[in-house]
Amino acid sequence: MRDILRLLLPPLVWLASFSAIYGLHGVGCALRWPEISHQEVSLFRFALLSAWFAAILMQVALLFALHRDRFKAGSAFMQWTSLATGWVGLVAVLWTLYPVAVITACGAYG
Amino acid sequence: MTALRRHRKLTAIWASEPGWKGWTSSVNHSDLGRMFLVTAFFFFLVGGILAMLIRAQLATPHSAFVDAGAFAQFFTMHGTIMMFLFAIPTFEGLAIYLLPKMLGTRDLAFPRLTAYGYWCYAFGGSMLLIALVLGIAPDGGWFMYPPLTGPLHSPGINTDFWLIGITFVEISAICAAVELTVSILKYRAPGMSLDKMPIFAWYALVTALMILTGFPPLILGSVLLEVERAFGWPFFQADLGGDSLLWQHLFWLFGHPEVYIIFLPAAGVISTIIPVMARTTLLGYGWIVASAVALAFLSFGLWVHHMFTTGIPLMGLAFFSAASTLVAVPTGVQVFAWIGTLWKGRPELHLPMLHILGFFFTFVIGGLTGVMVAVVPFDWQTHDTAFITAHLHYVLFGGFVFPILAGIYYWLPLFTGRKRFFRLGEMAFGLIFVGFHGTFLAMHWVGLMGQRRRIETYDAETGWGVINLISSISSFVMAIGLAMVLVDVLIHAFVAVRGGRNPWKAGTLEWASMSPPPAYNFASLPHVVSRDPFHADPGLPNRLAKGEGYLGGPKANRRETLTVDIATGRPDFMVIYPGNTRLPIVMAAVTGLFFLSILLKLFWLTPLALAGVAALALVWVWRLGAQVDAGPQDAGRGAILPLAGETTKSPGWWGSVFLLAANGTFFGSLLFGYAFLWTVAPGWPPAEWLTPSLAELGIGIAAALSAALAMRFAIRSNCRSARPMTALVAAFGATVIAILTFAMLLSRVPPPDGHAYAATLCVLCAYALAHALLVSLMLSFVIARVLRGYTSAARAAELHIVSLWTDYLAVITILSLLAAHLPGMLA
Repeated sequence: MRDILRLLLPPLVWLASFSAIYGLHGVGCALRWPEISHQEVSLFRFALLSAWFAAILMQVALLFALHRDRFKAGSAFMQWTSLATGWVGLVAVLWTLYPVAVITACGAYG
Repeated sequence: MTALRRHRKLTAIWASEPGWKGWTSSVNHSDLGRMFLVTAFFFFLVGGILAMLIRAQLATPHSAFVDAGAFAQFFTMHGTIMMFLFAIPTFEGLAIYLLPKMLGTRDLAFPRLTAYGYWCYAFGGSMLLIALVLGIAPDGGWFMYPPLTGPLHSPGINTDFWLIGITFVEISAICAAVELTVSILKYRAPGMSLDKMPIFAWYALVTALMILTGFPPLILGSVLLEVERAFGWPFFQADLGGDSLLWQHLFWLFGHPEVYIIFLPAAGVISTIIPVMARTTLLGYGWIVASAVALAFLSFGLWVHHMFTTGIPLMGLAFFSAASTLVAVPTGVQVFAWIGTLWKGRPELHLPMLHILGFFFTFVIGGLTGVMVAVVPFDWQTHDTAFITAHLHYVLFGGFVFPILAGIYYWLPLFTGRKRFFRLGEMAFGLIFVGFHGTFLAMHWVGLMGQRRRIETYDAETGWGVINLISSISSFVMAIGLAMVLVDVLIHAFVAVRGGRNPWKAGTLEWASMSPPPAYNFASLPHVVSRDPFHADPGLPNRLAKGEGYLGGPKANRRETLTVDIATGRPDFMVIYPGNTRLPIVMAAVTGLFFLSILLKLFWLTPLALAGVAALALVWVWRLGAQVDAGPQDAGRGAILPLAGETTKSPGWWGSVFLLAANGTFFGSLLFGYAFLWTVAPGWPPAEWLTPSLAELGIGIAAALSAALAMRFAIRSNCRSARPMTALVAAFGATVIAILTFAMLLSRVPPPDGHAYAATLCVLCAYALAHALLVSLMLSFVIARVLRGYTSAARAAELHIVSLWTDYLAVITILSLLAAHLPGMLA
């Protein structure tokens, strides 16, 4: 089962981060956090960016751990496949969450 | 023992009852797989006829073929049948039939559960069919959006048929998913490590895990909407603190992964057939496994792309637009791996390959239009137009029906033991291919011209008439092609001449059994050393028939198989299956009574039906186990193994783990709904919060934690060969306190029909209360088993299973009580 978990963990962590940041975004917009700022820096944007960086760091840490002998899979196939899903997790967290850095937080079209 | 004597002896042990009676008592995976497939294709026929009626109506402007009400029922039932009663059950049927054979074992993990799942599907599907025949079928569209489907706008019974019938059918999907997950992980031939698993098994595993996590949000949504309709609890009514968007979130949390739940098994079929047809091995096996896993996870991050026009903030749109484009990458990896496999081999254009080519052409177009609608501004223009209908048919027909037709023609010689002799199938493929593209290519066009989905008629001035006529004529061409496939398959099954074993010269194990396979699959179980065991050892079938594998010596009346270590494939336990029984069909019928009581508002029947299900479940589990230790068993080839019941992680333990994963997703979705309403819905905060009580919070949490702790003590004392009774009684007592806590809490919640807050809180408490009652029932059962001598230091499996459930109860008790009390405390 550990081999299966090793395979599933990076995308699972991506899914958790993605859902959590989407949730954070929803809560922030509902509670009007974008209106709170400190020295012209929006605290909401800061929170979203921090959460994104934390998610990236988690994926990098997972990839690093998957490379380490201590967490290596039992077979070369499972080792290779879990590294592949590790990279999937990292790319997914970079690509699907980059909007926190470039898009209006709570604005809607029109 | 000669091969023939072994065959006769094993057949006597494994065979189902002869005749139609055997259908009701069979627990054999081959029988049930066939029953699933036949029923699913019957529903495909019904869904297809509805499609023809829809196209007949739309063929010309101002058509009066059917009225708007009937048209609404037709398109709702067409979508519902194709999604829930055809596509998913076809996957289940194919996987149930094929997997034990491909994995080199004799049956699935829980044969009675397979049968229960089938009967739930058959009864639930029949409910919907009866509604259709009576003219009271669901009519709110296959995704049933409230407020249209709420009690105010759809007061009749039509919507209830959908909510209740589909939930009933989903029990079947959850059963199959638990069954398949445990079977693929544990029930394989010795030596079949994860890297030697057939690629179809990988796809089936990923799909089953997706069903376990994708279906619970829809089950929750259906429960909430039905409760709103039956009792007026306003989960989706904006004026009382509800929000109809909650339904859309819950539905699409299921609905988008559903697309991949349908596509991935088909991709498994493609990955199995292409290397055989190209006379080579699959290119990029590891890449394909990683892509399937990636696709599964990414598909859970796309659900909001069905809601781009609901006014969601731009950043939210961007998250899901980005995720929707990313999902094309692992899909592309698989498509290129298949093209690469064809490139490196010597492809032969047999009939299954024609359908695979049909898949390539159609699915790639569907995928590309998918990327188009992932782009938000484009989606705003085409949302709810015929363009979307066309896109989804390219994905689902291209990504499921063509591969499944390829699969049917590929495995037909295995199913029947015969070989095709007419060329009807080739002609049918041509008609289906031309008819499909004529129908749906035109639909893209008319959608871009502005034709909305689900309209029953249109004006001649719109200029859509000719395109719709082309679409309708083409759809009838496609229907003729599909009817020819049916005729071809029937001729093949009943008239064609006998064929030899393995006509395609494939390397997977299903071809190493007889064609058609006997009830026991393999006279002895192989030791697998390669991903293509039949290629590695062409003499394998004869050696297995001679009993040279594992479990080659049948014992009187024992249906035996082996389980293996998940990663390495090393044999670890021996399993003895239960025999034929009508318990599954009876239990499915009583489960049906429960659903019927809610549908017909016969609420006096509901507790009786629930008690009936509980009583039958107790009979179900009581029949397992033994009152003496059997000790290690000889499994052949020098393997001495314990029985699965004499281990800590028995098949039941694994089943509980995956069932709890689905259950946890259901609970997580409920918490999500609570948080969503709290933060997004209008009309919050409610007029009054639940009055917080530290005593109630403390007692409830302490009771649930004590029950979990006491179960651990029970396991420990059982391990030391001491009687675990004291600890079990303590766990039972603590669970009773948890029950009382939730009962008290429920009595204090504000009236649930006044505000969505109180309604959600009631559901949360009822969920926790139901689990506390369930755990108390389990503990009573285990106490009775201990008293009757069914447990010992070795036979501890049941204690470990109940421990899992007490742990789960502790987690949901803590979270439910915090969710109930914290808002009041903070206010």
